[in-house]
Amino acid sequence: MSTPADLVVEVVDGAVELGGRPILRGIDLVVRRGEVLAVLGANGSGKSTLVRMLMGLVPTCRGEVRLFGTPRERFHDWYRVGFVPQRVSAASGVPASVREVVASGRLSRRRPFLPRRREDRDAVDAAIEAVGLGDKSRDGVSTLSGGQQQRVLIARALAGVPDVLVLDEPTAGVDVQSQQAFADALRSLTDRGATIILVTHELGPLGPLVDRAVVMRDGRVAYDGPPIDAFTDADPARGHAHDHHHPDLDLPGSDHSPSVLSPLDRARQEERS
Amino acid sequence: MNLLTYDFVVRALLGALFTGLAAPAVGTYLVQRRLALMGDGVGHIAVTGVALGLLTGTSPTLTAVVVAILGAVLIEAIRATGRTSGDVALALLFYGGIAGGVLITGLAGQSAATLNTYLFGSITTISPADVWVTAVLAVVIITLALGLSPQLFAVAQDQEFAQVAGLNVRLYNLLVSVMAAVTVTVAMRTVGLLLVSALMVVPVATSQQVTRGFRSTLLAAMALGMSASLGGVAISAYVDVAPGATIVLLALAGFVVAYPVGVWSRRRQRIARPFADDPDDELALGRLLGDQHTVVPETHGHEHGQTCGHPAVPHGDHVDYVHDGHRHAPHGSHYDEH
Repeated sequence: MSTPADLVVEVVDGAVELGGRPILRGIDLVVRRGEVLAVLGANGSGKSTLVRMLMGLVPTCRGEVRLFGTPRERFHDWYRVGFVPQRVSAASGVPASVREVVASGRLSRRRPFLPRRREDRDAVDAAIEAVGLGDKSRDGVSTLSGGQQQRVLIARALAGVPDVLVLDEPTAGVDVQSQQAFADALRSLTDRGATIILVTHELGPLGPLVDRAVVMRDGRVAYDGPPIDAFTDADPARGHAHDHHHPDLDLPGSDHSPSVLSPLDRARQEERS
Repeated sequence: MNLLTYDFVVRALLGALFTGLAAPAVGTYLVQRRLALMGDGVGHIAVTGVALGLLTGTSPTLTAVVVAILGAVLIEAIRATGRTSGDVALALLFYGGIAGGVLITGLAGQSAATLNTYLFGSITTISPADVWVTAVLAVVIITLALGLSPQLFAVAQDQEFAQVAGLNVRLYNLLVSVMAAVTVTVAMRTVGLLLVSALMVVPVATSQQVTRGFRSTLLAAMALGMSASLGGVAISAYVDVAPGATIVLLALAGFVVAYPVGVWSRRRQRIARPFADDPDDELALGRLLGDQHTVVPETHGHEHGQTCGHPAVPHGDHVDYVHDGHRHAPHGSHYDEH
């Protein structure tokens, strides 16, 4: 069985509160090296918060998170983690080339004020090649399509040559063809034995890659096991039925962020109920 | 007449050189985090600092630096906690700063003319000591802006990624705020507190019309800021006009020239972009997307829209139009059947 060295992520009784509201409760999760784990669930189920908890972007109020056997608070080897945050665009207020965005993925391995070394440049080149954007490395990211920008963000995470790749909704808003290209890029990584944690609404073309699924519901792990057919759209007979995300019209706001109300608003709401 | 024989012209040119280089270097990071008006906010707050200096009889530059740094840190704190949106936080401090400045200047018994030299700059009265302070602070700011550019770029570009990469995001955000505050007070003598933000932002806006990368934008903005500053001082030496305003108008003229070039080159790029990533073969597309996504190869006399008269049916993230007994949705270059 697995040795402690094989444990990439361990969560024991993890819980998260945001603005006094419980978001995650009683999370027990172990991810071993080489696993491709999909975290599934509806909007507001806490799947995004789960990976943000693993990455230290939200504090835990209970329990413990360990990365590579080290408690998260004392974990400093961030170069072992490649994170692809949930974003619509890779662009910001000032133009930036694909190469520059991907090069910031090397910062976890670089020291301030020192020039980049040869291995930094090679890793950036390799990461850009891995996502198939080699001919666009000097282009501005804002001129690329949504799917290509998403691949730039993945290349940025790959540039640090991480041991685990964590992706938060990498295919949201990306068309089916680009999802396929993205799935191919991930496959070349899993073939090399990478560990992948993937948050997604629906697996789509990524289905065949995943060997374990965790389904979140109301801040708890509702299912943990092999992905069952119901989660995947990869059945060729049915085709890729989804080319868009269905909006959750009945859920207020997006992704379980606590709604911020002024005292007056709250009073009025309580009166009504 | 050789202007360089006058000491005050040489001092003015040196002051302009350093502020012209430093202001756009910091401004690039402010524009990148979409806080272009932060320099303006800090400038307004520094007015209170200047007034405090006038009231207490200490150096207005010193008090302005202290108050500007406090203000910049406050703006950053408000922005980071996310309770108020960044622009509202800026607006609150804008008005508090300028009102406080005017009030305290009055209390100090100073005239509006004294305050004006700080609001709109007075580069020709800059002293040798001022030149030294400007030069040292500008060199420190430029060293930080260029030396830490990968880190500052990453933090401004994607804060969450930078945090997971192990960077101290809060420290770098604070550093940019303090750099902005110091730049504002350094540029106070050159272009004045009310116009300093222009020297931070306009060269960046100009250079990003023609650049594609971050580093080239940063360096081009510094070159543009320097040319505008030196040019503005030179022009105002020959023609009797305010140097600060001339510098800003020169920088804006650069933008007016660069903008059409930017529009033209972006248009050319769009046209030159190949369609390879987007297979337009409708049959292939239909096969790829499966039976629920039927491409209808019929041509439309018009584009469906709010005015075409066909009943519109909201369907998920798009709108279908009822058309000859079936529902059509525009999808790129063709229509899908739903």
